Amino acid sequence: MGLTDLVWLVLIAGGTGYLLYRSLWKSKGQCAGCSVKGCGKRPGG
Amino acid sequence: MSTAAETVAVSAGRAQRTVTVAVAGNPNCGKSTLINGIAGTRLQVGNWPGVTVEKKEAQFSHGGRNIRLVDLPGTYSLSPYTQEEVVARDYLVHERPDVIINVVDATNLERNLYLTIQLLELEIPVVIALNIHDEAERKGYRIDRAALEELLGVKVVPTVATRGEGLSALMEAALAAVGTGRPREVSYGEDIETAARAVLARLQEQHPDLAARYPARWLAFKLMEGDSRVLEETGIAADETLWGDALDHLHQAHDEDLESLMADARYGAAAGLAREVVHKPQVRRQELSEKIDRIALHRFLGIPLFFAAMWLVFKLAFDISTPFVDWIDGVTAGPLSRWTEALLGTLGAPDWVVSLVTEGIIGGVGFVLVFVPVIFAMMFFITFLEASGYMARAAFVMDRAMHTMGLHGKSFIPLLIGFGCNVPAIYATRTLENPRDRVLTSLLIPLMSCGARLPVYVLFAAVFFAESAGTVLWSLYVLGIVLAVVMGIVFKRTLFRGEAPLFIMELPPYRLPTLKSLMIHTWEKGKHFLIKAGTYILAVSVVVWFLLNLPWGVQDRQESLLGRAGQTLAPLFEPLGFGRWEAGSALITGLIAKEIVIGTMGEIYVGAMDEPEDPPPSIGEDLREIGSSFLDAVQAAGANVVSTFGIASMSAEEEESPSGLKQAVAQAFTPLSAYAFMAFVLLYAPCVITAIAMRQELSTWKWVGVAFGYQFALAWTVAFVIYQGGRLLGFA
Repeated sequence: MGLTDLVWLVLIAGGTGYLLYRSLWKSKGQCAGCSVKGCGKRPGG
Repeated sequence: MSTAAETVAVSAGRAQRTVTVAVAGNPNCGKSTLINGIAGTRLQVGNWPGVTVEKKEAQFSHGGRNIRLVDLPGTYSLSPYTQEEVVARDYLVHERPDVIINVVDATNLERNLYLTIQLLELEIPVVIALNIHDEAERKGYRIDRAALEELLGVKVVPTVATRGEGLSALMEAALAAVGTGRPREVSYGEDIETAARAVLARLQEQHPDLAARYPARWLAFKLMEGDSRVLEETGIAADETLWGDALDHLHQAHDEDLESLMADARYGAAAGLAREVVHKPQVRRQELSEKIDRIALHRFLGIPLFFAAMWLVFKLAFDISTPFVDWIDGVTAGPLSRWTEALLGTLGAPDWVVSLVTEGIIGGVGFVLVFVPVIFAMMFFITFLEASGYMARAAFVMDRAMHTMGLHGKSFIPLLIGFGCNVPAIYATRTLENPRDRVLTSLLIPLMSCGARLPVYVLFAAVFFAESAGTVLWSLYVLGIVLAVVMGIVFKRTLFRGEAPLFIMELPPYRLPTLKSLMIHTWEKGKHFLIKAGTYILAVSVVVWFLLNLPWGVQDRQESLLGRAGQTLAPLFEPLGFGRWEAGSALITGLIAKEIVIGTMGEIYVGAMDEPEDPPPSIGEDLREIGSSFLDAVQAAGANVVSTFGIASMSAEEEESPSGLKQAVAQAFTPLSAYAFMAFVLLYAPCVITAIAMRQELSTWKWVGVAFGYQFALAWTVAFVIYQGGRLLGFA
C-alpha cells in the first residue's frame, strides 16, 4: 500500500469514524437531525 | 444627550430588543396551523429539555421588531399533572414572555376559556386569537367580540389559521400589548377572593422574595390549592401557618377541597363568560364529525375500518412513489456512478477508492435513498390521517380492544409513532405513568414496522408481488400490529401482571388539513431519514464495503469477513427459505440499521455484476435522460393515482429492464421465501439506535437483551411457519 493509498485510507477511516462517533456515542441514539440533542434524560433517572 | 436623541435611542433600543411571544392554547384549537402560518419555514422543531414534549420556536422580524415565537404544548389547563401542563406553566412563570397569544377555538369557547382564565392570572399581557371562527359562523354561532374584550380586558382578534386570515392583525395586536401591564382579573367569587387577599398579604409579609419572584395572585391561588410543585419549588410546607385562619371560612363553607373549589370557580367563570358573549342557534344539527364517528368508533366496524384506512395509505403511497423510486434508481446506478467515477479518476484516486465510492457508498447509500419517495409518501398520508383527526379515533378503537385484553390503550400512541421511527416512539413511552407499562410498550415498539424497513419491503414486493405490492406492504404492517397485540397479552400475563388504568383522551373534530401544513409536517418527519442516510448510513456503508473486501484483495466476496459471517448463519435460515450467505450477511448489517439490509444486498449483488461494454453517454445526454425520465415518472405517478382503485400499479412489463439488484433478488429468492424474508426483517431485532434509545429510557441493558432474544425467536418462528406452511399448501 503506497503513500497515496494510505492518505485516502486515513481520510476515509477518519470521516467514517467521526460520523459513527457522532451518531452512536455522542448523540446516544437521538433522532438524526434533532436540533435539541435528543429527548434528554428522563426526569428521575 | 438631548431629549430628542434620548427618544431616538430608546426607540432604537425598543426596536432592537427581541420581543418574546408565547403561544398557548388547547390541543386541536389550530395552534400549530396558526404558528406555521406566522413562522412558516423559520420554525425550528426540537424537544423541551428533559421531556419528550415537542418544542417549536421561531425567530423573525415583524413591523421592524425582532420576534421570538415560542409554541407551548397544547394544554387544557395549567395544573401540574401532565408533562405538557408542567412545561407550559414553568415556561410562563419562570421565563416571563412579553406577551401571550392564547389561541381559542371559537366553536368551543367555553372549554377554551378555562385555560384563558388561568393565563390571565399570570400577570402577562394576553391577546386572544379567536380561531376557526369561520366554522363557528357556519354553525350559526354569533360571538360578541367587543363584549369579550370588555369582560376580559384583552384584545380579541378573529383568525382562520387554515387560510392565513387575521395572522398579521394578530401579530400587530400582540406587539401593541407588550408592556401594557397585567390583564383584568377575573373574579372567582367573594369567598375565594377574600381568602386570596389574606394569603397574599401574609405572603408579602413573610415571604417578600417569593411575592416578588412569582405572579403574586397566581402564587396565592396555587398555595391555596396545595399545588405540590409550587410548594416544592417555593419551599413552603403544606401545613405552614402562612394562611392560618385565612382559609378557615372556605373550609367551613364548602364541602369540597380547595383545589376542586377553585376549579369549579374557573369553570363557572368560563361558563358565565361564554353565556354572555356566545349566541347559538336554537336547533342544533348533528355535527358531521358525530355522523362520521358513528361509523369510525363503531364497536365492530371501527377496527376493520382502521385496517382498511391503512391499506389505502399503503396503496396510495406505493402507487404514487414507485415511478420516482425507479427514476432515482436509474440516476444513481447510471449517471451518478459514472460522473463520480470520472471525477475520482481525474483526482487520481486509486481503484479501491473508486470501488468504495461507487459500490460501497453509492451502492449502499444510493440503494437506501432510492426509497426516499416511498418514505415521504407514507409520511404524507399518515400525517393526513393524524391532522384530519382520524388517528385519534384509531387510538380510541384500539384502546377499547386492547383494554379488554388487559393492555393499556395509551400505549397505542407510542406504537403509532413507531410506524415512522422506533426511536421517538421509545421516548414517547414517557407519557405512560406506570413503569411496567413503559417497559412493556418499549418491548413491543420494535414490532411496529418503521420507515427504515420500507426499502426491503418495497424492493421484494416490486420483484415478486408487483400486481399487489401495496397489499403485501399492508399485510406486513398488519402482521406487526397483530403480533404486538399477541406478545402484549403474553407479557401482560407473565412478566407484567397488573390492572390497566383508564385511558381518557379527547377526540378532535374532523378537519381537512391544508396542503401547506401537510407538507411542513411531512418534511419534519421525513427529513430524519435523509439526514440519517447522509451520516450514519453512509458511515455504515463504508464499514460494510471494508467487511466485504477484507482480507484485502479477496476476489470472492463469499470469502470476505462479512461473507464468512453470513455463511456461518446460513444454515440457521435454511428452514426459512433463505439459507444463503448473502441473506445472512445482509441481516447481520441490518442490526445496525434496517435500511442497510438493502444497501448490503446492493453492494453484494450489484458490485459483483459485470459492467456493460457500451460506450458511456455524454453529460449532456445524461442530463437530458434524467429530465425526460423524471417527466415520465410524474406522468406514471399521476396515472397510478387515477387507477388506484382499479388497475394495479407497477408491474414488470412497464419497466424497460429491472435494475441489477432486482434481477439478483429475483434469482436468489422465490415469492414464498421472499415473503418469509420480509416477515423476518419485520420482526427479528431492534436496530442499534433503537437499542441505545431503550437503554437510555429504561436505564438497563436487561430489557434490550430481552427484546433481542424474544424478537429473534418470534421472527424465526413466524418465518418458519410462513415458508414451511406455504410449501405444505403448495406455494413456491
